[in-house]
Amino acid sequence: MRNLIAFFRRFRIFLVFLILQILALTSYFSWVQYPRTRFFNSSNGVAATLLDAQQDVTKHFSLEEENIRLQAEIEELKGKQLENYIALSEDRIKIADTILELQFDYIPAVIVNSTYTYKNNYFTLNKGASSGIARDMGVISSNGVVGIVYDVSRHYAVVKSVLTENINIPAEIVNVHAGGLLKWEGTDKDPRTITLTGISNDIPVELGWEVVTNSQSGLFPKNHPVGTIDAIEEIEGKPEWKITVKLGNDLRRLQSVFVVENIMKLEKDSLESLFIDEFIN
Amino acid sequence: MNPVVKHTLRFIVFVLVQALIIGQIPFPLGIHPMIYPLFILLLPFEMGLIGVMIIAFFCGMSIDFFMNTFGLHASSAVLIAYLRPELFSLFSPRDGYEGFEEGNIYQMGWRWFIPVFGIFTLVHHLYFFIVEYLSFKEILFVFQKTILSAAITLFLAIIIQVLFFKKGKKK
Repeated sequence: MRNLIAFFRRFRIFLVFLILQILALTSYFSWVQYPRTRFFNSSNGVAATLLDAQQDVTKHFSLEEENIRLQAEIEELKGKQLENYIALSEDRIKIADTILELQFDYIPAVIVNSTYTYKNNYFTLNKGASSGIARDMGVISSNGVVGIVYDVSRHYAVVKSVLTENINIPAEIVNVHAGGLLKWEGTDKDPRTITLTGISNDIPVELGWEVVTNSQSGLFPKNHPVGTIDAIEEIEGKPEWKITVKLGNDLRRLQSVFVVENIMKLEKDSLESLFIDEFIN
Repeated sequence: MNPVVKHTLRFIVFVLVQALIIGQIPFPLGIHPMIYPLFILLLPFEMGLIGVMIIAFFCGMSIDFFMNTFGLHASSAVLIAYLRPELFSLFSPRDGYEGFEEGNIYQMGWRWFIPVFGIFTLVHHLYFFIVEYLSFKEILFVFQKTILSAAITLFLAIIIQVLFFKKGKKK
């Protein structure tokens, strides 16, 4: 026993070092796997409030850019309004429209904190569970895809951005309707691009073609723009293209985003869960 | 100023500057400077190692709160705190550290500060990026990030001291 105490005394410093390292590293690696501790992230009260205050100051620097973007969006939406159309025949009968049912609802939110230099990057939004945001909702901006909600607190949400290693968002190339998965590979160091994988190399692909989301994951509305094809490479030993997509939005400057709520997701998931084993095999 | 108050204030300022200013600037080439190793280096020479490690842990953890890194900053901060006495004895002045309060540029001089803080940051940044990437494939990118970020951190550390520290305050 005395030997044991002497041992601990001698190695006291190293023990403290070890304990602190274990605390920090277990927290880090368990977070990379799955958000278990609510303690360490920026949806936490103090950090989020300070980041909010910082956003209050810095948001003014990019107001002009934001305005131009909003104006373009309004212009596009105005073009779709009913009074811009002339009825070609007057003898139609009006019916209550039951063919269309609302599937996606959008919750506007503002980014208060973001990273883009790490290997896995996250955003903090200024809205949380009290505004109806929940885990695993998609996040988009008016001209691109931003990420997937990772964790929510009452008033804030942490979003896994598309600049995260295994983000795996299903997307397709418009011109050929070929679908694949969006990934941010460690090799893409550029926060303006993302990689589209899983496109077979017998499909003709050209630079500049548009890439959009498809509805497979149920997180994003169909045909929402992601970006344009920037580079095409062959992967050695695999019958696939490695396609680099230039993102439609610059994630380093983005401020206002929309959280996508899929109203029918629960229905889709509960139906699919019956056959989930067959989907995997 | 009372050293406890002084270092507590520094703690707050360094965490806020790192989280709200430096961590938010869009640097190119994967550069990610981290300035808080300077805070850990500047803790008093006579402070016990366990105390330094615990303070470093809380400093790193506070930054993790902001940056969503969940413990990575805390781990790297504790590592350099642990190595701090070794580094100090390696670069010990002729008469030891008797009569010196802390390792800033004015007290210890440029010829002590630049190599000591240079090694301090290199170790910190290298460990940080290696744990973050954890792959041999990207080892070159990790080195690139480490060297460029450490250079910027060293530059920032010198600027901060020239601008905000009082000259010639020896004990």
